[in-house]
Amino acid sequence: MEYLLTVMVLIGINVILATSFNLILGYGGLMSVAHPIFYAIGAYCSGLLAIHLQIPVPLSILIGAGIAMVLSFGVSLPSLRVSGDYLVIASIGFQLGILHVINNLEFTGAAGGLTNIPVLNEGPSRSLVFVLLIAVVAACAVMLVGWIVEGDYGRAITAMRNDEEAFSALGRNAMNIKIVLFAIGSGMAGLAGALYAHYFAYVTPEQFGIFTSAALLTMVVVGGAATTWGPLVGAVLLTTLPQAITFLGLPVSIMAPLQGVIYTTLVISFLFARPQGLTGGTRGGGGLEAWSASAAFRARRRAE
Amino acid sequence: MLTWGILGQLLWTGFAAATYYCLFAVAFSLVLKVNKIWNFAQAGVMVFAYYSLLVAFRHWGLPLVPALVFGLLVTLGVSLALERYAFMVFRDRNSSILTLFIFTIVFSEFSVYLMELVFGTEPQTLYPSLLWPVDLYAGIAISHWDLMAIAVTAVLMLLLYLFIHRTRYGRYLIAVADNENLAEIYGISRKRAYGVSISIAAVLITSGMYLFGTKAALFPSTPLQHLLIFAVIATILAGIGNIFRAGIAAVALSLIQAFSILVIASKWQALLAYILIFVVIIFFPRGFSLPRKLSGLVRPSGRSAAVALTDSAGD
Repeated sequence: MEYLLTVMVLIGINVILATSFNLILGYGGLMSVAHPIFYAIGAYCSGLLAIHLQIPVPLSILIGAGIAMVLSFGVSLPSLRVSGDYLVIASIGFQLGILHVINNLEFTGAAGGLTNIPVLNEGPSRSLVFVLLIAVVAACAVMLVGWIVEGDYGRAITAMRNDEEAFSALGRNAMNIKIVLFAIGSGMAGLAGALYAHYFAYVTPEQFGIFTSAALLTMVVVGGAATTWGPLVGAVLLTTLPQAITFLGLPVSIMAPLQGVIYTTLVISFLFARPQGLTGGTRGGGGLEAWSASAAFRARRRAE
Repeated sequence: MLTWGILGQLLWTGFAAATYYCLFAVAFSLVLKVNKIWNFAQAGVMVFAYYSLLVAFRHWGLPLVPALVFGLLVTLGVSLALERYAFMVFRDRNSSILTLFIFTIVFSEFSVYLMELVFGTEPQTLYPSLLWPVDLYAGIAISHWDLMAIAVTAVLMLLLYLFIHRTRYGRYLIAVADNENLAEIYGISRKRAYGVSISIAAVLITSGMYLFGTKAALFPSTPLQHLLIFAVIATILAGIGNIFRAGIAAVALSLIQAFSILVIASKWQALLAYILIFVVIIFFPRGFSLPRKLSGLVRPSGRSAAVALTDSAGD
């Protein structure tokens, strides 16, 4: 039972992460892969505040999410100067740089990780309560993103994604949208990280590296980028599927890479066979090809 | 205490270590210029190259030349398969940049996981011992590996330079890099040019992985998390499309890294690369410009393309 509840906690955390990543990447078209670093910032800041300053856990969770939101400027500011591949590479530099700092500082626990993080709640039904909490937070995250992308603001986001120059020519401020998207998405990732830290009481730097970026990309791609339910479906599917392998009783040295092979094969298959993901519709109706459906994008590609 | 001997040793060590970085950077830059793809899958190709060499050397006990040929064939096969069955498909579909990015990075991760599954996660070397004879010249230790690596890199760079600037196919590559549609009108096969460039990259990658594996042990994740990042920084520093400048930038980066040990603790050295990648992209997205006289290795591409098109029209 405890195992099942733990898997459900992981599903909830991954839903928050994938949904917030989808807001930045899928809807905003902002090609940053540094999302896991805000997950890390939330986890480490919240954990360190609770350990060293004895700040109450709920408050430290909120502060952790807030710090992640503020530090999202580290990626949103570059997005004002560069885009596309350049933004991807800048975000990788940002992610690996911060991770390297965490990996080498004594007070963050260095490579060994941060241990003895105070848990959010205790008692016999600790996991069940936490599952309910994380389910509520995950549902709020999905609804928040759904609410943001609907209506006028959502149309402005789509317009900016499809043709930023035309969007700016109409007198709209793309800069504000980018900063807001990064701040909200990163804040949500920070919240997920803080919740993770105060449930498992232990975090290590290797949980937030480039492989986690790929795992989140997988969830968004397989579920369907730029769709409301896609990241949720992707997160649920890709958190539960690898768990099936654990029942094979394989040694850890085989199980971890085997899970990786399955993950990556799944993504590659989807990229070729169904780039719109499980929940995406035809071209323009979501998925990775949503951007290329825009007339401006097609014109730009032709010009290239 | 800092002496001329220490400075000389750092310079030499940085220069020798730059050899494989240079090869990887030139391979990355070439594919970016001709195939127009930020080929993060290069890390996956590097993994395949390394482990095929490992099988040839350590498992089958092949001598140097057959082992290198085997490694090269595997690397060529993987590279050409990537171009034909992945990049070409995405190009034909007019896929978004994001699709290509995800594919290339996920392919690299797939390669890493596959090799971890087959060969384990422990670091492995191509030879049982990595000790090379060392000679002292003016107080500077120069290993035979250093000399071999510098010679191999210099020869490969010279051959590539001659191929690009002195052969018809080389000019075709530049023509396709400049304007693939115009090149096709003149009868230059775009697909063949893509295949040639990715094959050249495969040769450089195989050579680089051999040099790396005869000097240090390799974790399956090293190419993705370290070697490729270095190649990307060098490519951006050099300015997109400047193939040989990417090699020079890789040497400069390696020297910076070697000398940084004087002011930065070794554990923070990798951070330097990450800071560089961030700063360079934000402030120098077009790379550093050298004075024209210093950039003599790069011929104005328009002229090369014009020559190639004239050659092709004459066929």
